[in-house]
Amino acid sequence: MSVIDVKHLTKTYTTYKRGAGMGQTFRSFFRREEISVQAVNDISFAIEQGEICGMLGPNGAGKSTAIKMLCGALYPTSGEIEVLGYSPARDRKHYVRTIGAVFGQKSQLIWDIPPIDSFKMNKAIYGISTPDFNNRLEELTALLDIAGVMEKPTRVLSLGERMKCEFVMAMLHQPEILFLDEPTIGLDVIAKVKIREFIRQMNKKQNMTCILTTHDLEDVEELAHRVIIINHGEKVFDDSLQRLKLFLGEKKRVSFTFAESVQGTVFDNACTRVVERPSDFQITLEVDTAQISISEFIENISRKHSFSDISVKELPIQQVVMNIYETKKQPEPSL
Amino acid sequence: MKRYVDVYKQCMYSAIQTAAAYRMNFIVSSLITLIGNILFPLVTVLIYRAGTSFPGWSLFEVLLIQSIFTMSSGLSSLVFGGVLWTTMSHVREGSFEVILLKPLNPLFYIVATTFSTESAGLFLGGAALFIFSVMQVGAISALSWLQFTGMFLAGTAVLAGLALMMAAMSFKWVGNSRISELADSVLHVGKYPLPIFPKAVQAVATMIIPVGMVGFLPASALLGRVQASDFAAVLPCFVFMGAGIWIYRHMIRLYEGVGG
Amino acid sequence: MNRFKHNWLICRSVAEVTYKEWSAYRTHSLVSVIVGPVYFMVQYFIWTAVYGGQATLGGMDLHQMIRYFGATALIGYLIMDFADWNLSMLVRTGKFLTFHLRPVHHRSFALYQKLGHRALGFLFEFLPCLLIFILIFGIDMRPASFPWTLVSVMLAFLMNFYVNYTIGLTSFWLVQSGGIRSAFMLVSGIFSGALIPLDFFPHWLQVTQLFLPFQYIAYMPAMVFTGHYSLGGLELSIPEAVAMQGVAVLVMFGLCELVRRRAMKQFTAVGA
Repeated sequence: MSVIDVKHLTKTYTTYKRGAGMGQTFRSFFRREEISVQAVNDISFAIEQGEICGMLGPNGAGKSTAIKMLCGALYPTSGEIEVLGYSPARDRKHYVRTIGAVFGQKSQLIWDIPPIDSFKMNKAIYGISTPDFNNRLEELTALLDIAGVMEKPTRVLSLGERMKCEFVMAMLHQPEILFLDEPTIGLDVIAKVKIREFIRQMNKKQNMTCILTTHDLEDVEELAHRVIIINHGEKVFDDSLQRLKLFLGEKKRVSFTFAESVQGTVFDNACTRVVERPSDFQITLEVDTAQISISEFIENISRKHSFSDISVKELPIQQVVMNIYETKKQPEPSL
Repeated sequence: MKRYVDVYKQCMYSAIQTAAAYRMNFIVSSLITLIGNILFPLVTVLIYRAGTSFPGWSLFEVLLIQSIFTMSSGLSSLVFGGVLWTTMSHVREGSFEVILLKPLNPLFYIVATTFSTESAGLFLGGAALFIFSVMQVGAISALSWLQFTGMFLAGTAVLAGLALMMAAMSFKWVGNSRISELADSVLHVGKYPLPIFPKAVQAVATMIIPVGMVGFLPASALLGRVQASDFAAVLPCFVFMGAGIWIYRHMIRLYEGVGG
Repeated sequence: MNRFKHNWLICRSVAEVTYKEWSAYRTHSLVSVIVGPVYFMVQYFIWTAVYGGQATLGGMDLHQMIRYFGATALIGYLIMDFADWNLSMLVRTGKFLTFHLRPVHHRSFALYQKLGHRALGFLFEFLPCLLIFILIFGIDMRPASFPWTLVSVMLAFLMNFYVNYTIGLTSFWLVQSGGIRSAFMLVSGIFSGALIPLDFFPHWLQVTQLFLPFQYIAYMPAMVFTGHYSLGGLELSIPEAVAMQGVAVLVMFGLCELVRRRAMKQFTAVGA
């Protein structure tokens, strides 16, 4: 059963051009030039109950506009959205009771007082009964391991602790759909793992549907069953995670800082490609992990050169989008 | 309805907690708001000290206007004072949808979460000056008190309407931290006896932007100087507040992208 | 001389950049174009009512009084700044360090910024309001002596800057200087003379003001504009008043320099 149904969704904004010079300054007081921006352009998709769907796209691709429309905060310019039988923006007051949202960069906690008081505020807002509230809170605090944290003022919490509390805030009223916007941004590895584990559990236990927007391909690899990629307001990819991996190949980016000059050394070969070589001591390589495991690759390099620093990262999202564009021109790889 | 009352209570509790978290800062900022706002009668005092006056008004009668003005401002900013700043920062940072995600009337939610405890000091300071002035102006009848109460509420409604209109403006005039100066300047007219202004200004200040109701008319009621026609000015006050609410909600609709 | 030229180049480019930076907010100055005239209108009717039968109050007739308020409003647009706020923000966020590493004093930098910022104020606040005062209110806004008024306004420009900058410097010692700053601004607002001419204050307060920086910011240039200066029983001719203002600016500059040196010591010692 699909819980989210989006058909031909389009959103156009109108903004004004700002002049720079003296003359334009005066003129813009009276007449401003309109510019219309197509933030989301004819996007359609459906999401099944219990799915975790990752929404990817570079900055300004239109994914946050799409999420805002799905949450009911913006009306579409045209097209239709149906979520759990509601039209989000039109039935917003009823609709938002059934959803939860966590925005990595927009805190819903009150900064100066302990999270527990913000939770109580949500209890009042959603009209949650006291026994329900207590049970739910107990369950969530146990899962997220934040028993001692809730009583401290929000401003003294670490980012990881605060994000966990943001999740409690969003989950108290037992939403059927959870919207996550960059939920792991800026977190350390341990906190990321904990939060991903929490999302997986909520999804499994309660069959909760999740929509996840992120820059971080790792979030998607760890969580999503399905991936939608948006670029320039258009849907460029919509398929399973396995399929995305086929498109990408299994690639990682490894950056080295060498202890000695590697001028003249050739790094390109069947499984690696040079991405960046800013100096004789630094290099960034793209490694195809389908052909060589990361540990094997590093071992190979370290046998030849000594290095003082190394980092392994996922492909940046811009690269993913570019890869998809390129592969699309060719016949699709089969599963 | 009960849910809305619960939410408001919880919000007041949070606001008080926040104030308690920064006790020193709270006390200092309340004091400064208070001093800043009760100092404007200083000009009046200095004028009367120089041996002159607003024709037909004694010093304490003018102070009565200004104390009522201060009380009204205190009450209004206690409830509506934070709406402008919160709206402004949400619009600038593009986080207004945090408000739209709550299953409540968004305007109510903003008003509730911006309960401004530091304005309590302003209200109390105004009240102190009010009691002082009332004691100097002679006996006041029960009927006058009743008229005063009604007009005082109407005046506070005007301030609420003005606060909402300024907040609505911040949707369009993104990041302009000087918007509140507009309201302050218009309100300046309400701090003095209205008859010193020409007829046109008086008409605007009672019928269109009824700032006359914020200090002057309630004080006139207490002094027994109102005429039947003055009560007609109560109606525009509530119309004004209604307009404020309407404009603010209209801006939310535009933000959502309806009809814009 | 080369150093002077070098500074002039820095000044020009900083002022220009600031002008462009703030141009993005030029519509904000529309607020001034509304607020200034509304306040002025209220002052106009207050004083018209108050004068009633009286010929002079505080040594001024009604016409002079109205000119006085017009002048304080307009001078305000030419000399206002928030150097204090800006500096305390830089200190609080740690951005001050980046200025400390540049081969130009932050204070000079801030002064050049103010020049650019006020150039914008001149065009979008001062000029429109001046025209409104002259054309709509019909006020005679010709200064008693144009050169002296110009010098006095320039001195007030510097005075306001050094005072605000010194206040801003206190944030090297105080974490929460917000309260102290707004208290200071409050006092400065009253004693600058923008609300009511200082002649209306009790004698002892007027005498005190001679030794405080506030009156040199708005009251003195506005009085120079009207062509007659008196405070605390002291009657000065216009050149005398401007000379006194010049001395006051020098004293304030010395004080600012003193505080700045101590602040820099504090900064490099603690790394605040």
